[in-house]
Amino acid sequence: MATSPHPDIEELIARVAMADRAAFARLYERTSAKLFGVCLRVLQDRALAEEALQDTYLKVWNNAGKYQVNGYSPMTWLITLARNAAVDRRRRSGAGRVVQPLEIDDRFADPAPGPAQQAEARDEVQALALCMDELPPDRAEMVRRAYLEGATYAELSEATGVKLNTVRTWLRRSLMSLRECLSR
Amino acid sequence: MTGGPQPDPPDGVEATAAEYVLGLLPEAETQAFEALLARDAGLREEVASWQACFAALTADIPEVTPPEGLWPRVEARLHRAPRVPLWRQLAPYLLGAVAAAGIAWAAMVSGVMTPGGTGPELHARLVAGVQGLALQADYAPRSRRLTVRREAGELPSDRALELWLLSDSAGAPVSLGVLTEGAETVLDLPPALARQLSGAAIALSEEPPGGSPTGRPTGPVIALGRLAPE
Repeated sequence: MATSPHPDIEELIARVAMADRAAFARLYERTSAKLFGVCLRVLQDRALAEEALQDTYLKVWNNAGKYQVNGYSPMTWLITLARNAAVDRRRRSGAGRVVQPLEIDDRFADPAPGPAQQAEARDEVQALALCMDELPPDRAEMVRRAYLEGATYAELSEATGVKLNTVRTWLRRSLMSLRECLSR
Repeated sequence: MTGGPQPDPPDGVEATAAEYVLGLLPEAETQAFEALLARDAGLREEVASWQACFAALTADIPEVTPPEGLWPRVEARLHRAPRVPLWRQLAPYLLGAVAAAGIAWAAMVSGVMTPGGTGPELHARLVAGVQGLALQADYAPRSRRLTVRREAGELPSDRALELWLLSDSAGAPVSLGVLTEGAETVLDLPPALARQLSGAAIALSEEPPGGSPTGRPTGPVIALGRLAPE
């Protein structure tokens, strides 16, 4: 608990859990630019991103009591709420979504352990970047689209021209490779 | 949307946890996974790890200051939609549908109705999972005395534990006092505070020795409960 990189943000969340409006305003001041960036990235639309950001902070207000100090940054909790709020908005307004094609490159079908092992990246973000680099580029792009754009299996299937069940198998295998790399 | 039965997906429950975090599981599988999640602390850690992993994908997304007018809109929506009372936020924990990965906290309400006097006796139970701390709080309206008994667990050696009243009318937590080192802490409450106790949520937070220096909770909330007559 004491090792959290954001003890101040954890303190603000604890106070929000107790209905402290001043703490809530301060938390918004501290974190809204990052979360708005995330909403914009997911939605690619300013008006929708503004709605998603409002949804996010309402969830923060109502769920702060459920926030658990679990050794991860409190920003993880906030980013997860923002990403999910934005993805919800995106999926609901999904009728006109354009699916960008995603090139599949079979030469990279079997990822091999790469330089990440030697790099000794302690930093979470750096470790993730290295492990994403170990995935075949098309598979890494699927993971990115699934999280950062909220792409569904149906959309990934359309983007790649590959059957839905195959896309699911590929993504699950890629996620397990990622997990294996991050656990090294 | 997927049409037809799915073959067994490869690679087991860790990959399913990742799909759950990504929101990719079909509805039926989501329900099955959540049922599993409620029973399995290891799986909850797996989910937390995936959330942290994916959140790191946002590291290079630039910050964008939202427009000035957005905060007032958030506040307006807060006023329109009254806050979910704390005790209702606790409900999933009570039902065991969700449990905490780190600080597991739970709250139970117990006690008996006592007739007469200036109102019923009130009772609350506070449990801080990781610390193994279990507290019983009993309020006697005649003496306006709140007695907090430590039934299990130890106090942290370098931190104080402070009890707070979460009153919707006050808008901010009000300190009820700091737990003493002994097994029993007796807090004499002023009439203004005593009137707000019935049905109110109380919270236990970790604070610097001597209690919060700011008059507001500064540390993590490790237990929540509700003062009720029964």
